Amino acid sequence: MTMSFANGLAALRPRIDAPVAAFLSSCVRCGLCAEACLFHTETGDPKYAPIMKLEPLRRLWSQEFTVMGRLGRALGLSKPMSDEDFARWEELVYDSCTLCGRCSLACPVGNDLTLMIRKLREGMVAAGHSPEGLRKAAHRALTDISPVGVGAQSARKLIAAQSREVGIPIEIDKHGADWLVLISSMEYIAFPEMLGALARLFKAAGQTWTIASDAYEATNVGVQIGSCDVARAIVARTVDAAHRLGVKGVVTPECGHAYQALRWEGPNLMGQAFDFEVIHLIDLLDRWRAEGRLKTKGKSGLRLTYHDPCQTSRRGGLDPQARRLLNLVAEDFVETSDPGPWNWCCGGGGGVSANPRARDLRFKVFAAKKRQLEAVRPDAVVTTCSNCRNVLEESLEHWGMELPVLSLTELVAEYLDEVPS
Amino acid sequence: MSDSPGLATLLRHHGIGRRDFLTFCAGLASALALPPVLAPKLAHALEAARRPSVIWLSFQECTGCTESLTRADQPSLEQIILSMVSLDYHHTLQAASGAAAEAARRQAMADNHGRYLVMADGSIPLGDPGYCTIGGMSSADLLAQTVAGAAAVIAVGSCAAFGGLAAAEPNPTGAVPISRLVTGKPVVNIPGCPPLPLAMTGVIAHFLAFGRLPELDSLGRPRVFYGETIHDRCPRRAFYDQGLFAKSFDDEGARQGWCLFQLGCKGPTTRNACATVKWNGGTSFPIGSGHPCLGCSQPSFWDAGGFYRPLSRPAGLGPGMAAAAVAAGAALGAVAASKRPSERQPVTLDDLETKS
Repeated sequence: MTMSFANGLAALRPRIDAPVAAFLSSCVRCGLCAEACLFHTETGDPKYAPIMKLEPLRRLWSQEFTVMGRLGRALGLSKPMSDEDFARWEELVYDSCTLCGRCSLACPVGNDLTLMIRKLREGMVAAGHSPEGLRKAAHRALTDISPVGVGAQSARKLIAAQSREVGIPIEIDKHGADWLVLISSMEYIAFPEMLGALARLFKAAGQTWTIASDAYEATNVGVQIGSCDVARAIVARTVDAAHRLGVKGVVTPECGHAYQALRWEGPNLMGQAFDFEVIHLIDLLDRWRAEGRLKTKGKSGLRLTYHDPCQTSRRGGLDPQARRLLNLVAEDFVETSDPGPWNWCCGGGGGVSANPRARDLRFKVFAAKKRQLEAVRPDAVVTTCSNCRNVLEESLEHWGMELPVLSLTELVAEYLDEVPS
Repeated sequence: MSDSPGLATLLRHHGIGRRDFLTFCAGLASALALPPVLAPKLAHALEAARRPSVIWLSFQECTGCTESLTRADQPSLEQIILSMVSLDYHHTLQAASGAAAEAARRQAMADNHGRYLVMADGSIPLGDPGYCTIGGMSSADLLAQTVAGAAAVIAVGSCAAFGGLAAAEPNPTGAVPISRLVTGKPVVNIPGCPPLPLAMTGVIAHFLAFGRLPELDSLGRPRVFYGETIHDRCPRRAFYDQGLFAKSFDDEGARQGWCLFQLGCKGPTTRNACATVKWNGGTSFPIGSGHPCLGCSQPSFWDAGGFYRPLSRPAGLGPGMAAAAVAAGAALGAVAASKRPSERQPVTLDDLETKS
């Protein structure tokens, strides 16, 4: 048992590095981050202003790292931090932030508020103030590999079933394959057809792939709950599997945080650069398209729009790739307002969808996405994150909207011009 | 020298045309942080300016400052400026020697009483006047005699400005800076070992064009050149902000051009314009070439604890975090937490099972 207020401070303190100190001291209190955050715009409650969510981090910085703050604390002018502060902020830090990154983009002085929320969560989880739903998911991820409880046997069965469905073998633990492919939790439990689509796409592109029996899961709950220990353990699993199987690269699936965790946080968590490539599935498909490996035939006649997942578009830079692929298979592609880097979050990222307590709030703030979709009246919405896909489906149902949500990968696979080999 | 020709005429004799001269004035106006509209006025003032007499005194120094001022083989700002003044006495550069040289100095002082500039490099051995005597006079007497009729004194280099090498521990000659001995005359300090040529020429040009010295800071340095720290304008600053530091002179960080803070760079505490003006015709400067700033334009830089010792290093953090925390502390002038922070306990499976 290590969780305590003191441990929370000990975990948070070293997170206050030069960038954080620079950010906190350069905030001009303009409030533009509030206008960028869907939790604020959709509720109108000022407590949801992103900078407000960072108050425990700001206070710790001020009291321990600034001369005036230390003086004030010594003279008893400011109240020392207490466990109560962490407890009161739990809802703000976990339920009302999807780590979507829109506030960081909006900040006129360039403060990366999202990075700081991620850091603050390190302190919160060490102090024992993280949502039960996320803690349980993290526990399952460490003990059973899958945070939603898809054991190795179940995963094997799902993979075999999809392999039979499309008539293409999907090999597990195949040494020397080109790519190690990760599959997200949501794909195993809600969208297993993704596996069949992958089999067809890799075959068409003439590349070999495999799924690791001990690292078949992409989701990194550690990044969501904000624990570097959990996150590192999950990343290490994939790194070990990639080395063991001798693959050229690892493909992260249609999942936002999995990409964030492996592509950007991964090498930092492991303390060294990877000796293999990490690529998002959409990036790989677009590369194949450019190389002429991906031939399609025909286009969807539906009026399609695209929901940019925050972690792949705003924080991953993959929005042009998604649009090039969409235009490959869509006759009538229509953009919503604020496309690409300025997209509005589905409301379920950053662990919010794994936190049942936050359900009503995330349905409420979905109003932003709803307005965007209603304005362009599409026949279906396409996305490249299975968590977004699930959250979009749930939220559309909650609001009584009938709108199919499609996976871009599955859509491209549908229009594949397969050459019989 | 009131009967001497104007500067423009003189420059034409030196093969420097009006176009070059105006370009120079615009550059100078910018270097002196003057509004652009002043550039033509500067040109006009300089064109009409009569060359003031300059008496250059060298005390306990190494001639590096003179090298810095004169070493240029293209018609440069520095050369143009040298044409602006009538250098009537300079140990190193003058042809005359012995009694003839001293006579030239006294002649210039008499002819230009109250109007000439004294430029001095080197420190004054106040503890033992036997060191550094010139023409039988002690350094202190020579300085006192020469500045008596001067309009202003320009202390060139860290030795003249702050005592420099000679004044470093244990200071065997009892060396003191020029400003300690000059009273009743404006003294401008242009520190650096050596100072940037532009800082020296800029001050002279300002004096020529406007008849007064530029604005000075609390250490007597012209604000335009010493207003910001090296760190403020360092091309490696982004790496400092990210906590990316070279740890030795040949490690991966050094090859990647990361911040040299941990190798003892004094950039954060050194006020000078090297990072923007650069050296050797704008080619580079120490940090640009992979070496930490020694802080040579700051007082007592020889005694600042070692060129390769970092400015600060907080206790009680791991190696990775130390780098970031060093950065945080220095960036904001913050002080590391006084209590040694307790080590973080990792999150365990038991923790994740806990009910909140």
